[in-house]
Amino acid sequence: MNGWILAATVELGGGGAAALWGVTTGPVARRVVAQNLTTAALCPALLLLAQGYGRPAYVDLALLLALLGPVGTLVFARLLHEDLEGRRPSAWGLTYAVAGVGAVVVIVVCAATGPGRAMVKLLVIGALLIGGNLIASRALSGGFQGVRGG
Amino acid sequence: MDRRTTPRAVLLAAGELLAWWAALALLWLVLITTVDTLERVVGASAAAAGALLARAGRRAVRWR
Repeated sequence: MNGWILAATVELGGGGAAALWGVTTGPVARRVVAQNLTTAALCPALLLLAQGYGRPAYVDLALLLALLGPVGTLVFARLLHEDLEGRRPSAWGLTYAVAGVGAVVVIVVCAATGPGRAMVKLLVIGALLIGGNLIASRALSGGFQGVRGG
Repeated sequence: MDRRTTPRAVLLAAGELLAWWAALALLWLVLITTVDTLERVVGASAAAAGALLARAGRRAVRWR
């Protein structure tokens, strides 16, 4: 157990558990928001674990999650379009909070990695994670009204 | 001469494909673990296919 793994455990135990609780309880609008925030809560933990175990290849898991998580949310937004009509589910405070946590984790891991291709990869993951999360949150809250079918 | 085969249109299409190819090839080089000749060849080929798909996708979802 080192500091990286401890930080990942805190992240998983706090953010991951909160997201799981949000997904499994409450109305559908809250569940879908929690499902969207799960990616943003778990991806930084995967980056911290990769650093903690000293296996840069594990970063690929975070890359996949950052890429597929927002896409999954967009699928949910499309499938639940009628259930979410007029509700505009959103939690912008939480969304920006987890985006901030993701940014801090990416910056810290970048500082530990040092300049090079690995650092660019981490920055790509961070941009995908934060950008994808903000776009998916906006789609859930009905921010793209011009798009056919929601 | 069709509107899509004027020199200007062909140049624009080639420029767009080249831009997509460069961006995708760069992304490939960033994401792989070890850079060697095989990876460069595979990456350049995948980026070429990806550039064609990206241009087709952009034209399909163009809003205006």
